[in-house]
Amino acid sequence: MRMIRFILPLTLIATMLGAAPQVSITGQLLAYQDGYVFFTSGNGFKVSPSLRVLDDATKKPATEQPKPRLFARAVFDDTGSVVELDLSQKPLPLEPLSPQVENYVVAASPSYPNPELSRPASKDTLPEMSNIPTSSGKKVLLNITVQVPPETPIGSQIYIATDTTGWNPQAIQLVRVDALHFRVVQRVAAGTILHYIYTRGSMATEERGENGLDIRPHAIVITDADVRAVNDVVYRWADQVTTNGTQIQPNTAPTPYNPAPFPNLPSSIPTPRCCPSGS
Amino acid sequence: MRQSRCFPALLLFLLLTIPALPARAETIVRLQADHIAFYYDRFLVEADGHVRVSTSDGTTITGDTFSMDLKLNRFLIASNVRLTSPGGNISGAAIADFLDFNRVYFVPVIEKPDRWTFENGDYSKPLKGRQMPGDVFYFPDLHGTKVSLTAKSATIGAKSFVRFNGVTSYIFGAGAPLPSFYVYFGANPDMAVNSLAGANMDLTYNFAGNANSISAIHLRSDQQYGVYASFEQHIAGRNGYAVFSVNPGTKFDKFWSLVTDYRFGKRFQLNTYSQLFTAQKLFESPYASSTWSYATGTYAFPQSFLSAQAVFTNYNLLGEGLPKAAPATARHPSQMTLTATTFNHRIGKSPFYENLSYGIGFNNDSYGLQEYGGVTYKTIWNHTLGWTFSLPGFKFGDRDNGYRTYYFNGTYSRLYEWYSVPHYVVTTNTVGSVSRQFSKDVTAYASYGVVNTGDYYRKGGYVPPAQPPVIDGVPVESILAFRGVSTLRTFTLGGSYSTNPNFLATLVYQHHQDFPIPYPGLFQLPPLNNLGLPQYTNYLGQPPNNITGEVRFLAVPHLVLDISRSYYFNYGNLRWSPQTTVQVIAQ
Repeated sequence: MRMIRFILPLTLIATMLGAAPQVSITGQLLAYQDGYVFFTSGNGFKVSPSLRVLDDATKKPATEQPKPRLFARAVFDDTGSVVELDLSQKPLPLEPLSPQVENYVVAASPSYPNPELSRPASKDTLPEMSNIPTSSGKKVLLNITVQVPPETPIGSQIYIATDTTGWNPQAIQLVRVDALHFRVVQRVAAGTILHYIYTRGSMATEERGENGLDIRPHAIVITDADVRAVNDVVYRWADQVTTNGTQIQPNTAPTPYNPAPFPNLPSSIPTPRCCPSGS
Repeated sequence: MRQSRCFPALLLFLLLTIPALPARAETIVRLQADHIAFYYDRFLVEADGHVRVSTSDGTTITGDTFSMDLKLNRFLIASNVRLTSPGGNISGAAIADFLDFNRVYFVPVIEKPDRWTFENGDYSKPLKGRQMPGDVFYFPDLHGTKVSLTAKSATIGAKSFVRFNGVTSYIFGAGAPLPSFYVYFGANPDMAVNSLAGANMDLTYNFAGNANSISAIHLRSDQQYGVYASFEQHIAGRNGYAVFSVNPGTKFDKFWSLVTDYRFGKRFQLNTYSQLFTAQKLFESPYASSTWSYATGTYAFPQSFLSAQAVFTNYNLLGEGLPKAAPATARHPSQMTLTATTFNHRIGKSPFYENLSYGIGFNNDSYGLQEYGGVTYKTIWNHTLGWTFSLPGFKFGDRDNGYRTYYFNGTYSRLYEWYSVPHYVVTTNTVGSVSRQFSKDVTAYASYGVVNTGDYYRKGGYVPPAQPPVIDGVPVESILAFRGVSTLRTFTLGGSYSTNPNFLATLVYQHHQDFPIPYPGLFQLPPLNNLGLPQYTNYLGQPPNNITGEVRFLAVPHLVLDISRSYYFNYGNLRWSPQTTVQVIAQ
């Protein structure tokens, strides 16, 4: 009896030390069909007829079938077939393939390099593809400072309209730094191509070019960095292109001609007269 | 009367006949699925169950799951994929279409899985085994992202718009059914030009649209009209746009607006803004009606530009004597100006900049514009000459430490206006400011500005009244010194505090020391706009002291609340501004 107590643990330890570790990968499922399981890496693996589908957290049989968007751990047998799929709603790391697992990937055609993915651009590479920087998607602090024209009314508030906010002319408000400068800090995902224009709260007061004409929106590519600083200059506002014209106010009739440059003189002040006694 | 009836029809006619310029050929993706979700924060369309996608090149793809990043302009269909194209029918595990690059990446499953790449829409010649971009079949991580709406089908215009049908829209977690919903995410800001006046709240329902047009109903609220609905139609092309609206659409007073813009080549641009006012129930004969139009043409030169503006106003379209017609002036003035403006030029190597402007103007009203010297002037000509000197961003203090650096900005401008009535006006505006950023979150500035306006007549001019005006039983003697010259001096101290991009608080104190000296009730205050704010800022009789606080923060994703109010330090009966201004702004 004592011998048995002594031998059994030894046998178990010996078995564990001697057994080959199971090969597995984790990732997000793309498809499960036709006897194969596919991960979002695009790799397909043959599935064993005796596949066990388990819940990754409990290791008990899963209540749902493998399907796209689920995360999973695939466990392989010696032949490279997947014998166990542990499903998880929570993200599992998208692991790179080990050389051993790479051999298990099933593909009818041999892989060959794609010149469009190499850099620098070759003559076979689409120029627009070769110029696109890779981005991690991390949030980058974008610090935008703008200098407004000296004619900007002192009480004005300055906004940015962007293509990510439906070009709402009041989408992002800037903070006044001084009489001529405004600033805003935004968090923008790296890789974003941001188009934007400055406004004073409406498209009727959007920025214009130095030559008084409409301009194309500013465009910046947010690359991987901790902080990105942008300095812009607004040369004119659309409602100030004519310096002595009447300002457009929606739903307000143009003010009748007023010879006095003071719009709200008290009624007790008579209109200008030619002579002290004349009209 | 006839004119007022015809005007809406004319606006509609113009709207329909303005050619919507053809945009470049774009790919249309039509999507059907059991469940479609749109994540507005990230411009993602995700769909599951019986996915069916047809593209404008005649390809149809079915599968179990769909994912599209509208900004990256690529989509993915996964699981039990069936591709039906002119090149044949193939089954597979996943397919990804990079629309910008005309590349389709496919994982077919015939006998074995494989990797094929299709170039330029040619499905008959797969590049078998060619390496693909590493993330070609990745799904976006949706954890922490809230669904903005769900739908039964969607039409996606590449890099421009998405239109959903059978929609349930979620605001504050509550779902509201809508027949359709349109979102524009393209790079043409002209699609957002609107013709509506400001409002405290504007919930916009874009119910239809495509790459060049948007049809929208606005549910609005403002202090003048309360709650009401309006309609707006946008049309935009590469070189111009047209916007038509009726606002408020559900009130007795209605403003019918048409805004157009067209760019002729690289040097010339024409803008128009026309409004028709009617006071009427639905389409019954109006009780009052008036109209006004602005037309502005701008021509660019290498170092300057020429701008011409014409304004036509008819204050009464109904004519006089009609029993229903509300009394209105019969005047119908017109105004034209032509102005040349130079670019900002640096003066030598100094830190100063200058620009010049010269203009000529024409004003006419057959009912008369001004009485002077026994003459009624029906036409008044004027010339203007102005210049501006500015000093932007002059640094001083500890320049090596950004939090101890001070910036000085200065502007000096002067504008002369000579009139055919023998008088001229000189307006001089001088502003100087010093600013400093104290920390990452706190910025402050102080500015001092003087606006001096003088109206000088060759003979006579402004004559004070014989007796001082009496306000609440008190004679106001100071106004007797007014001879047509005003001086507005404004000291401003402002600061802002922003801990993160979604929160901003500002506090601004202003002290005015003006002549004529302000006295409560003496000067007519400017009319307020729909938000309850003065329609113009430089006016006589401003309260000597005021402090304004404003807080702006992101209440829920894509919805910003802006709350502001002013305090006037007991100027007359004025303590607080008439009301707290609250704006709900979609972001």
